[in-house]
Amino acid sequence: MNYFAGVDIGSTAIKIVLIDDTKNIISSKVTPTGSQFRKNAVDALHAMLADCNLAFDELAYVISTGYGRKLLKEADESVSEITANAIGAMEAGREHGVINTIINIGGQDTKAIQIDESGTVTNFAMNEKCAAGTGKFLDVTARNLEIELEELGDYHLNLKTAPLPINSTCVVFAESEIIGLLADGHGKEEIVAGIHYSIAKRTIRLAKRVGLEGLVYFDGGPALNKGLVASMEDELGKKIVIPDFPQITTALGASVLAYEAYLDEMESA
Amino acid sequence: MVNRIRTFINSCDLRRFRFWLQLLLFILLVYGGYAAINLGQNLPTFSCGYNQDGKGGVCYLLPLQHQLARGPASLFSWAGIAVLTGFLYFVIWFFVFNKAWCGYACPLGTIQDWITALRKKMGIPYASYTWEQFRHLKKIKYALLVLMIFIPMGIGSGIFSHDMATPFCMICPGRTIIPLFTGDFSQLTIDFSSKTKMIMTTLGMLVTGLFFTGSFIKKRFFCFFCPMSALHYMLSKPAFLKLKKDGSKCTKCGDCYSVCDMQIKEIADDVDNINILQDDCIMCLKCISACPEEGCLKVNFLGQHVFESTVDGYIKRMEKGNKSE
Amino acid sequence: MNRLLMVTSSGWKKEIKVSNDPKTDEKKTAFNLTHQAIEAESMLRRIKDDFPDNPESMNYFYDLYQQVYCEGRSVYDKEKIVGTMCVQVPEELIYAAGGVPVRLCSGFYTDDQHGAEFMPAKSCSLVKATLGMLSNKSTLPFINKVKTVVSPTTCDQKRKAGAIIEEMGYDVYNMELPPLKESEEARLYWQRSIHKFSVSLKEITGNKITKDSLKKAIGKTAAAQKAYRKLHNLRKETPPVLLGKDVFMITNAYFFDKIENWTAAVNKLNEELEQRKEEKFSAAQRRAPRILFTGSPAIFPNLKLPVLIEESGGVIVADENCSSNRMLYDMITVDEWNMSNMVDGIADNYLKPCTCPIFTNNDDRKRKLINMSQEFAVDGVVYQTFSGCQVYSMEQSSITKVLRDEGIPVLLVESDYSPDDMGQLSTRVEAFIESLKAKKRRK
Repeated sequence: MNYFAGVDIGSTAIKIVLIDDTKNIISSKVTPTGSQFRKNAVDALHAMLADCNLAFDELAYVISTGYGRKLLKEADESVSEITANAIGAMEAGREHGVINTIINIGGQDTKAIQIDESGTVTNFAMNEKCAAGTGKFLDVTARNLEIELEELGDYHLNLKTAPLPINSTCVVFAESEIIGLLADGHGKEEIVAGIHYSIAKRTIRLAKRVGLEGLVYFDGGPALNKGLVASMEDELGKKIVIPDFPQITTALGASVLAYEAYLDEMESA
Repeated sequence: MVNRIRTFINSCDLRRFRFWLQLLLFILLVYGGYAAINLGQNLPTFSCGYNQDGKGGVCYLLPLQHQLARGPASLFSWAGIAVLTGFLYFVIWFFVFNKAWCGYACPLGTIQDWITALRKKMGIPYASYTWEQFRHLKKIKYALLVLMIFIPMGIGSGIFSHDMATPFCMICPGRTIIPLFTGDFSQLTIDFSSKTKMIMTTLGMLVTGLFFTGSFIKKRFFCFFCPMSALHYMLSKPAFLKLKKDGSKCTKCGDCYSVCDMQIKEIADDVDNINILQDDCIMCLKCISACPEEGCLKVNFLGQHVFESTVDGYIKRMEKGNKSE
Repeated sequence: MNRLLMVTSSGWKKEIKVSNDPKTDEKKTAFNLTHQAIEAESMLRRIKDDFPDNPESMNYFYDLYQQVYCEGRSVYDKEKIVGTMCVQVPEELIYAAGGVPVRLCSGFYTDDQHGAEFMPAKSCSLVKATLGMLSNKSTLPFINKVKTVVSPTTCDQKRKAGAIIEEMGYDVYNMELPPLKESEEARLYWQRSIHKFSVSLKEITGNKITKDSLKKAIGKTAAAQKAYRKLHNLRKETPPVLLGKDVFMITNAYFFDKIENWTAAVNKLNEELEQRKEEKFSAAQRRAPRILFTGSPAIFPNLKLPVLIEESGGVIVADENCSSNRMLYDMITVDEWNMSNMVDGIADNYLKPCTCPIFTNNDDRKRKLINMSQEFAVDGVVYQTFSGCQVYSMEQSSITKVLRDEGIPVLLVESDYSPDDMGQLSTRVEAFIESLKAKKRRK
C-alpha cells in the first residue's frame, strides 16, 4: 500500500490530506499557519502521520501547494494552488457530475477556475492586489459584530427581512461602515447578510470572466458558511456544489497529483 | 539537390537576369527576321509588324485590326473562323507566360526600362502618380481596347473610312520607334494624304514624344495605357504562370508596392486572396525580389516553383544594391 | 572628474567624486552603491546564475551589462548621442548624420520612483522610469551626454512626457506619426515627417546627410538586422537552442551598445547556436511549454516576468515586444539608391509594418501573433500589460479572442516595475505553465 500527501500552505491555514493507492482519503488536517509556516507544516504532517501509525518514509510522494509551497523541502515537488484546486474539485465533485467552474474564496484571495473534463485548467481569474471579497472580509465582520466566525451562517439564515446593502467594497472602510450601521440600530442579521451579498456579487463578477455554464463548485474555508453559500446561489441563479470539507479540496488535489506523479515515475523507470 | 537549385534561384540577382533576358528577347523580336525566325502573327507583345525586315514575329493587334475591318459579311461567315483561330493562337502564346510577356519580352517595355536605367545613371529620382490620378488613368487602356475593336468593325461596316485602318497602330509608339532599330525612319512622318491620316499620324507623333518624356520620369509610363495589357488581364485567370501570395506571412511592409513600376497597391494590401495578379501588372517580379518574408510572394508555372521570396535572397539583393549604385 | 549626486533611500543627497578613469578603482565604486546598480546587479545575477548552460557567447552581453549598468562605464566616448523615445525613430538617418541613437526607455524601478514626481500615480511605469532617468542626469553614464531627445507622437503618455522632458532642459524633437498607417495619406504624411527630420538633423548633430553616409548607415543597420533575423529563425528549433531571457538581454543591449560590436557579438552567438542545433542541444527541459511573450515591453532590469516564466519551466521562443523583436525585425528596401528613394524607403520601413498598438487598427498585430505562434510552434501566449498602459490593455480583449479562436491559450498579466507583486505573478505564471504541460501530456 502506498501513501501520498498533499500539503496546502495558505495564508491563514495549513491543510494536509493523506490518500492511498485507491485515492481514498485516509486522513486530513487543518491547522493555523501562524508565523512559522514551515515548522508548523512539518509538525502538522508528522502529527497526522503519527495518528495514522505511519512513518514519514512510508510516504511515496509529497506535493506542496499554496503560497508557501516552494520552501517546503520535505515535499518532492510543488504545484500552483490553481492546478491543485482544479484536480481536487474534479475528484471531490465527481459524485455530482462534471465540474466546469470552481470558485475558491480563501483567506486573502479569490479565484475562479475553468476546467475541462480531465481537470486541466483552461482559464482562470484572480482578484487583483486587494482583499475585498475574501475571507478577510468575513473575519473583520465577525470581529466587529463580536460574534464567532462559525456563527455567521446562522445569523444569515435567521434573517426575516431583506439584507442591508453594504456600500464599501474595501475591507478596511467596511469596518467603519458596520460600526455606523450598528449605531443606527440595525440588527446583526441584516448586516451579516448584507456582507454576504456584497462578497457574493463581487465573486460572481470575477467568475463570469471565466464562464459559469455547467456545474459550479465552491471551496475554500468560507464555503462552510451556509449564509454565504445561500447568497452566492441567489446571485448565480442556480445551485452550487459544496463539498463536505471545502477547506481541503486544494490539498486533496495536491495529494492526487502526488499519486499521479509517482505513477509517472514508476512508468518511466 | 532540388533544394540547392531552388535556393540558388531564389537568391538570384533578378535585375541582372532580367536585363539579359530582356536583351535576348528584344534581339529575337526586333532582329529575328534577319535570321529568318518567324514566331507567327499572333504574339501577345509589341513585336511590331511595321518593322519590315527585322521582325521575328508580329504583334497580334495588327492582324486583329485588319481582320475586324473585313466587314460583317466576311466576319460572320466561314471566313470568320480565321479570326477565331488567330485568337486561339494568341491565347495559347499568352497562357504560357501570362503577363510576363510585358515584363520580359515586350520590346516597348524593354526600351522603357533602358530609358529608366539612363535616368538612374543620371541620378534623377522618378515621379509617381497620386491615388486620384491613378484611379482615373487606369481606365484609359480599356477605352483604347474598346476603340481598337470597334473602329475597325466600323470600317468594315462602312461607318469609318479606310483611312482609319489599324487605328491603334497609327497612334502606337511601337510603329514609330521599333523600326528605328533597323534603321527605318520612315514611320516618323505626318501623312498629309487625307485629313484623317493627318490627324492619326500627328497623334502618333505626339504619342511617340510622350512615350520618351513620360518613360523618362515615370517607370513604364506607356504600360498604364496599353490596350494589350487590358486584353491580357481579361484572359489571365487560367494562364500557366501565376503570381501568388500567402497573406498570413505578409507584414504589410509595403516593400512590394514601393518597388512596383506600376504602382500596384493591392499586392501589398491584399492579404486574403492567393492569386494576386492585377490588371496593370507586368510580372516583372520585382515585388518578389523585394519581399523580405519567406515564401510570401511567389510565381509558379503550372504549380511548379519558379521564383519565391526568401529572407536570404532579399538580404543578398539589398546588400548588392547598396554596394553597387 | 564628475560629481555624482547620490540620492539615498531617505532622500538625503550625498555628493561623491567619481572618475571615469578605469584605473582609479576605488573612486569608481561610488556608482556601484546607487540603487540602479544594485537593481541591475541583482537581475543580472539571476539571469546568469539561476540557469544552467548559458552559451559561451552570451558572456559578451553579460559583461556589457556589468560594465554599463553595474559599474557605470559607458561604451561611448566622444560620439554625439541622440536620445530616442520609441521604435519608430529612424536610426539610419541619425547614423548618417554622424550621431549615435540611444534608446532611452528605462527598465529601472529606481527611476520609476523618481519619475513619480512628474506623472500621475496610475501611469505607465516605463514612461515614469524614463522621466526619472532623464531627471537625475548623472546616474547612467551616457545620459550626461544626451542633449536632444527624439520623440515620435506615439501613445498619450509618451507624447506628454516629451513636454516634461523639454522642461527639464533637453531639446525635444517631436516626430509627427500618423494615427492610422494603412492609407496613402498616412504614408505621405510620415514620409514628409521623415524628410523634415533628415534636414533638422544637421542642427542636431552638426553634419549634413550625404548619399554616401546614408548608404553606409543603411548598411550598418542592415548587418545588425541580418544577424538578428538569423537569431530569430534559430529560435524556431525544437528543442530550443536558447532561452528567452538571453534574447531579451541581447535585444535590450541594442538600445545602448555600439552597433558594430553588437552585430559581431550576435554573429558569434549564431555560430554557437548553429553548433547547438547540430548537436540537438536543448536549452530547456524536454517538455517545456513554448511561450510567445507580448504586450508592454520587457526592459532590463525589469525582466522579472520573462525570467519567472522560464524559472517555472517554460521557454520563451518568440516575442512581439518593442524592446525586442519589433525593433529589429523589419528590413529596409530601396529600389533606386538615390537620396530621396532611400529616405522614402526608410520612412516606409518604420511605419508600414509597425505593429505598435498606438495605431488605430490592430489587424497587422493580430496576424503577426498568429503567424509567429504557428511558425514557432507556440503552446501559449503571455500578454503583459503595465498598470496604466492604455493601448495594450484596450487591445487585450480583441487579441485574446483572436488567439483563443486559433486554439492558443493566453495568460493576461497586469504588472508594473515594483518588486512586490512577485507572489501573485508566480502563482499565475506557474498555473499557466502547469496547464500547458498538462495539455502537452495529453496530446
